[in-house]
Amino acid sequence: MDRNQITKWLKAPAKMANKYSLHAIYFCTGCGIIEIPPVITSRWDAERFGVIPVATPRQANLFLITGYVSVKTLRAIIRTYEQMPEPKYTVGFGSCPINGGMYWDSYNTIKHLDKYIPIDGWIAGCMPRPEAIFIAVTHLWTLIDKDMANGYIRYRENYKSYRRNQELALGKLEWPPLFPVSNESQGNVQ
Amino acid sequence: MNNSLRQKLEATFKDIQVSIPEDSKITITAESDSVPAILRFLKDAGFDHLALLSAVDWIEDDCFELCFILTSYMQNDDEVTGRQRLHIILKTRIPREKPQFKTVIGIFPNAEPYEREIHELFGINFEGHPRLTPLLLEREYEIPPFRKDFDTRKYVKDLFDNIPFVEIEEK
Repeated sequence: MDRNQITKWLKAPAKMANKYSLHAIYFCTGCGIIEIPPVITSRWDAERFGVIPVATPRQANLFLITGYVSVKTLRAIIRTYEQMPEPKYTVGFGSCPINGGMYWDSYNTIKHLDKYIPIDGWIAGCMPRPEAIFIAVTHLWTLIDKDMANGYIRYRENYKSYRRNQELALGKLEWPPLFPVSNESQGNVQ
Repeated sequence: MNNSLRQKLEATFKDIQVSIPEDSKITITAESDSVPAILRFLKDAGFDHLALLSAVDWIEDDCFELCFILTSYMQNDDEVTGRQRLHIILKTRIPREKPQFKTVIGIFPNAEPYEREIHELFGINFEGHPRLTPLLLEREYEIPPFRKDFDTRKYVKDLFDNIPFVEIEEK
């Protein structure tokens, strides 16, 4: 442990613990996932940064969206994101989740991912190098320190808008709202 | 082998054009009615693997082209001479107004997902296919999206660009 940070640890131990144990959900979208195996294995060894992949969203607090998002994948991404316990952080990886990238005029690719789920940070590039993931992780540490990685809070507070956008893209959603969307429907939430 | 197969094909079937663009490729252009018979003939001749079934939209000629690529499991690429195994490319055209074709599942069972995909993306109806249900797409399209008259930019503008950004409420 870094002795310089001991005041931080004493002030906000939970925040520091979150920061240094980012559990990334092993969720593969698009071509960027090909960068993840070298990152988590011995060549680049993400565990130096406290990032390890986990199998289920219930154990994860970091969501890497690693490439283009088709409409069908968006459904899975929303379901995965909503199952993750708070606090949770999302990082868009590659240029496709940012604005569609080379699929900007595709009939079946989501153009701006942050219309549907909140994103805490982006890694630009096509493809980003594995080192870019570590730069993103260290940036995410800074954001967590400053309470700026607040995507999950934004999601909770603006859930109505996010849900509306999700329904515009996907049609009817078959799962109930995660948070109450209006006062009338509050009683119907299961 | 190429030339003997070519002679056999031309002797058995009328109204087909056979050409050999490369050493390891034979291209056959045939009428859509005679395709099942040609496929069965080729399967008996040893080409037992349907490697690909795809479609092309020739909007200027007002037709769809179905393209069957056949090869054989028993042949290998020759590593010494670098010669590839023999591929047979069977092409047929069907009219654009009435995109109908008879399914070839009876001959090659692995054509089933290919036919579902083509049905979904090009709107070609395969008679006798057991389940032409959606395979890849999430929503209904007025025009199947791989047809040339499907305007992707207009579609993107109408659907994705109309979804607003989430405005974060400042506190």
